[in-house]
Amino acid sequence: MLLLCLRPQPYLHLPFKLLGILDVQNVPCARHSILYGSLGSVIAALGHFLFTSRVRRSCDVAVGVFILGTLGCWFPCRYNYAKQRIQQRIVQEGIKNKILFESTHLDPERKQIGTKSDNS
Amino acid sequence: MPYPMQLGFQDATSPIMEELMYFHDHTLMIVFLISSLVLYVLILMLTTKLTHTSTMDAQEVETIWTILPAIILVLIALPSLRILYMMDEIFNPYLTVKAMGHQWYWSYEYTDYEDLSFDSYMVPTQDLNPGQLRLLEVDNRVVLPMELPIRMLISSEDVLHAWTVPSLGLKADAVPGRLNQATLTSTRPGVYFGQCSEICGSNHSFMPIVLEMSTLKYFENWSHMMQ
Repeated sequence: MLLLCLRPQPYLHLPFKLLGILDVQNVPCARHSILYGSLGSVIAALGHFLFTSRVRRSCDVAVGVFILGTLGCWFPCRYNYAKQRIQQRIVQEGIKNKILFESTHLDPERKQIGTKSDNS
Repeated sequence: MPYPMQLGFQDATSPIMEELMYFHDHTLMIVFLISSLVLYVLILMLTTKLTHTSTMDAQEVETIWTILPAIILVLIALPSLRILYMMDEIFNPYLTVKAMGHQWYWSYEYTDYEDLSFDSYMVPTQDLNPGQLRLLEVDNRVVLPMELPIRMLISSEDVLHAWTVPSLGLKADAVPGRLNQATLTSTRPGVYFGQCSEICGSNHSFMPIVLEMSTLKYFENWSHMMQ
């Protein structure tokens, strides 16, 4: 037991889960969406309170803006992330084909140059 | 492979599993927001002195809490159906492998080009070598080429079993008298573990599945060696 304590332990990267379910560290776009949603909700709630002095209603505004703000950041971010993944796959496939078929008749660049000279 | 106290998915090895993980993230965000709203409403209900004992109708809120869940369900259903149909696409498989469930082991048949079949039994705990995984190692692994679509035909010789490989996002029931088809594509080499996922008797927990995804050359050498 003492030896276990003295042995250097590897750093355990524990995920931080909001409400015990949403892992904001590892889910793409989650941290970004939650932060922007929280910021928007705090600003909206403070602004509402400053104008109306109604605490309860300001809290309702905070929750509403948090939900809408988080979703409003989440969907565009995930859409862009999906587009990036598709582009990454295309680029990866292109690099692989280039490496495999360089200087052969299947070289993608040679096919492109051939097509361009046919068109001109 | 899984690690102790794991709650999340294993790393994705196939495009389908990646899509499933992204869908899970999407659904979890919606669940998180709904849970936050419910928690807030709960706190509101518990911290108010206001009561209204003569509520007869509440048309506006009834409309909202009918239409909003319908919209949320549509937002969840559309990506779900997309992945469901994606999982059923067959991309001209290069190879067909049959996996037959028995009590309590799997047998595999590679009959496309040559006649190769073998049984895959779990390695008992007392026979494990140092570094091997308890309840997961088998005597004969299923070696397959990576980055190629492979058709798996899954059935059973006796009772219900289920052939599962979590990191590939595959799970198919092995039903006696029925052939279930699954398409498998691995994006990287490695060893991937799974376990029988349908109760099938006393040793249901002791019939694992091990896939070894490697290069085509290695796969060819292995299939020659196995015959």
